[in-house]
Amino acid sequence: MIEGALWRKWVFYNIPLILFVFVLLFPFYWMIITTFRPDGELYRPWNAANYQPFWTNNPTLDHILYLFEETSFARWMLNTMFIAIVSTIISLFCGVLAGYALARLNFPFAGGLGTAIFVTYLVPQTLLFIPLAEIIRNFRLGDTPWALILTYPTFLIPFCTWLMMGYFKAIPKELEECARIDGASRWKAMVYIILPVAVPGILSAGIFAFTLSWNEFIYALVFLSSPDQKTVPVGVTSELIRGDVFFWGPLMAGALLGSIPVAIVYSFFVEHYVSGITGSVKG
Amino acid sequence: MSKTKRRSVLKLAGGAAVASMGGMAGILATGRAPAYAQQKTVHWLKWVDFVPATDQMFRREMMPAAEKALGIKINLETVNGNDLQPRITASIQSGAGPDLIMSFNSYTHLYSNSVVDVGALAEEVGNREGGLYKYARAICSDGKMFMGMPWAVIGGMIAYRKSWFDEIGATKFPETWEQYREVGKKLKAKGRPIGQTLGHTFGDAPGFTYPFLWSWGGKEVEADGKTVVLNTKETVESVKFMTAFWKEAHDEGGLAWDDTNNNRAFLSQTVSATLNGASIYIESLRRPDQYKTEKGEFLNKDILHAPLPKGPAGQFGFHLLQSNMLMKYSKNQDAAKEFLKYLHTEENYRKFFESQKGFATPCTAKWESDKLWDVDPVMTPYKVAAKLGQAIGFAGPPNAKAQEGLSKYIITDMYAKAVQGMPAEESVKWAESELKKVYTA
Amino acid sequence: MAVTAVSDATTRPVPRLRRLEDERWLALTLLAPTAVLLGLFIAYPFVEGVLLSLTNTRVGVEGGFVGLKNFHKIWDDSIFRTSVWNTFWYTGVTTVFKLALGLWLAILLNRHFRGKALVRAFILLPFIIPTVLSTFAWKWMFDPTFSVLNWTLFQLGIISQRINWLGDPDLAMASIIIVNIWRGVPFFAISLLAGLQTISPELQEAAAIDGARPWQRFWHVTWPLLLPVTMVVVLFSVIQTFADFQLVYVMTGGGPANATHLFATYAYQIGIGTGLLSEGAAISLAMFPFLFLIVVVQLLYIRRVETR
Repeated sequence: MIEGALWRKWVFYNIPLILFVFVLLFPFYWMIITTFRPDGELYRPWNAANYQPFWTNNPTLDHILYLFEETSFARWMLNTMFIAIVSTIISLFCGVLAGYALARLNFPFAGGLGTAIFVTYLVPQTLLFIPLAEIIRNFRLGDTPWALILTYPTFLIPFCTWLMMGYFKAIPKELEECARIDGASRWKAMVYIILPVAVPGILSAGIFAFTLSWNEFIYALVFLSSPDQKTVPVGVTSELIRGDVFFWGPLMAGALLGSIPVAIVYSFFVEHYVSGITGSVKG
Repeated sequence: MSKTKRRSVLKLAGGAAVASMGGMAGILATGRAPAYAQQKTVHWLKWVDFVPATDQMFRREMMPAAEKALGIKINLETVNGNDLQPRITASIQSGAGPDLIMSFNSYTHLYSNSVVDVGALAEEVGNREGGLYKYARAICSDGKMFMGMPWAVIGGMIAYRKSWFDEIGATKFPETWEQYREVGKKLKAKGRPIGQTLGHTFGDAPGFTYPFLWSWGGKEVEADGKTVVLNTKETVESVKFMTAFWKEAHDEGGLAWDDTNNNRAFLSQTVSATLNGASIYIESLRRPDQYKTEKGEFLNKDILHAPLPKGPAGQFGFHLLQSNMLMKYSKNQDAAKEFLKYLHTEENYRKFFESQKGFATPCTAKWESDKLWDVDPVMTPYKVAAKLGQAIGFAGPPNAKAQEGLSKYIITDMYAKAVQGMPAEESVKWAESELKKVYTA
Repeated sequence: MAVTAVSDATTRPVPRLRRLEDERWLALTLLAPTAVLLGLFIAYPFVEGVLLSLTNTRVGVEGGFVGLKNFHKIWDDSIFRTSVWNTFWYTGVTTVFKLALGLWLAILLNRHFRGKALVRAFILLPFIIPTVLSTFAWKWMFDPTFSVLNWTLFQLGIISQRINWLGDPDLAMASIIIVNIWRGVPFFAISLLAGLQTISPELQEAAAIDGARPWQRFWHVTWPLLLPVTMVVVLFSVIQTFADFQLVYVMTGGGPANATHLFATYAYQIGIGTGLLSEGAAISLAMFPFLFLIVVVQLLYIRRVETR
């Protein structure tokens, strides 16, 4: 695996990686600093003498306290978490099954169906939310988490399906055939042989789906109305942007606290990529 | 007809779907808010107030009091002002949503088919309180009905730094655009330009460009509300003036500012003057220790307000007028009306008015002489905001067409394009052709 | 999750299982949940949207059929044309960068080093933070008065006066492109990383033993195997970018002077801002043929790659 001298490793791997990490995480660092920065330091123009962009000498917890005391942030987190988890599970379930069918089974119209599922993804949300509001009303789902849990899969399933198709196709047919020769049914071959191999794919589809539901804004804005039902993006923007005054500290604190738990959860999953892979390839 | 049919079909489908999903119905049932027996709920959707104290007062005092007095349940929801429109649109199209929704400017005309006439209440309050201002009437009524109950005007005035103006010899705020330009030139030379947005933002951009156009004698349409007459000598003149004015006196970062940038620029003392609601001043009062001048004094002692200067054709202002629309689809129209009435009783409205500390100007004449305006002389100029306001679409009515022109930012972009280097004649021609498309469609 | 749900199914009575031995029946069963959800929640709104674009409906006013008049109107609309151009430019540039940088990052991450799990997870942050909020942070960084970017460039001696990031039409476009790339790279990287990991290291080793240089190994061994996943990721990214809304809406609202309007933001401005629902729908749908073309080309390409 490792070839060449140490300097090579640095030039080709470590330095670029450090640069990537730096650029990708810089805005994030900026949020952290803003979160702990007292308001007084916020309004300093960039060319002011005491502009101190990367550090603050007077860190404060005020913004975080404000977030929890003056807004229902904790509640929004729970809502968002619940909605994102359930809609991700639904979408993964549908997407994995459909992706398997479209990628590995022979049946009439497979190509057409695949394209049809895909086409639904092309429909822009800015167009959809108005007719969807009508459906939500008729199903009496307005102002409940289910309004989002059931509509988010409309843009999650097509992605999951197609991503899974890609992964399923990359798995050699022989794997399944061996199992079938050993007497396993199609179900068993799928569940016990193919799905475990596809775990990294499932995980990355899951991460994608989860993140998209975590981020979604328009549906959450339109379909939910009680302050207690709102999700993080909608709640934070509607409580912390007051017309022409931004509450920068709490706003950034909200963004930060809204993403760190997810990042931590991801760090476990990402680890899974590796173990899932090594297990499956050798098995 | 076809609509109702489709809906009922869907309803059936919906029922079947819910039933077939079995367990979900149970979750749904528990997930829903418990029904209040016999009690009506009025759902009021308003913007999240610039003045946080007002929303707090509503939540903690007035809503509980109203629930008690009227025997109803009140669901007060606040959203960011920019997000009102998608909510209104979805509610109207699906036929369900908040009973009362706050409208900005001529949303009232835009949604006139979907609201209930509140003329009786508007006239009642107007008569009781010394008459409704012309501006409020133009925006809330089409002559036949009141689409919205006038609530308040968020005045736009120029906030400026007294000491900085004094330093360059302008002890009084300039009265005409010419004078303002001269003053601005000197200020910018000292690194203290005027801050103004020409970006796509609902408050400060049109709040500046429309009155500017009018004060030079330009107008979008004739009084018939059909004939587009933007491309005139006066308009071209105004665009030329603006182009030079911008280069000489403005902070050129302003092209992309939204409604918040100028607040920050002013509070951080990089601009000397900017058109804004009173929020800059209020912010500097709220946290005096954080905003100090270069001499170490409180910034809030150095802020004054003034209306936009005069042009050859007069002096104008275009302010954000808010009203509350009672939606036609509402099943609680009576209760909502009662609630609206309750909000507009003098006692309750005063609580709102006082919590705003002059940020919001009421729409009736009586309040102009209220003692609140004497409490803080800095806020006094705002008392006439509602009186002097003029609505978009001038000289025609502020109807849906005018609103379309506004939300396409045609007037604002006309100036923005010129400032970016397009010849004045061409940018006016562009704006006129865009307006014609709006008005002839 | 999928696994537990499915294992319930395996306890079903035998005859049904036997039926599932038939590929067609199995396919039908597997596709059913997707069909139900999409059918319920997207078929109707989509048809409704298409019908809407053929009427003159305004908010709250049911309109009559007007044929293709709305499409005529937008065709003549200079702002619409600008938006079309902007959308293509925005999508094209961001996709190229996201793919190149994403692939590079995936390769960097596809090996063992200390803190691997942590780096892999935290690199995803730009993608995790709700778009609306991260865009606000960027807006703050681009703010003409407070820009930390300007400060840094100034301190490094690269610029002598401020850069008007969002105020200049070209720079405004560049700014939203930067933010989009920043947001998209982690997703590309992680998806491609997962793809890289499905490739057996033995193949690489075999090629190495045959004397292939690293670049050749990548080009002849890794890349072909990675292609299917790459194509799908690109496809979805293109669609998402093409229909992007939040980022531009928060950053510039389409300004200055429409320099950053995209299909979705302009459709929103017309449909929601001015209440011309039918015209807004027409603009949204005008995206469709373009997207469809892109998608067909890519799908054909994917097929070709796969049958190779």
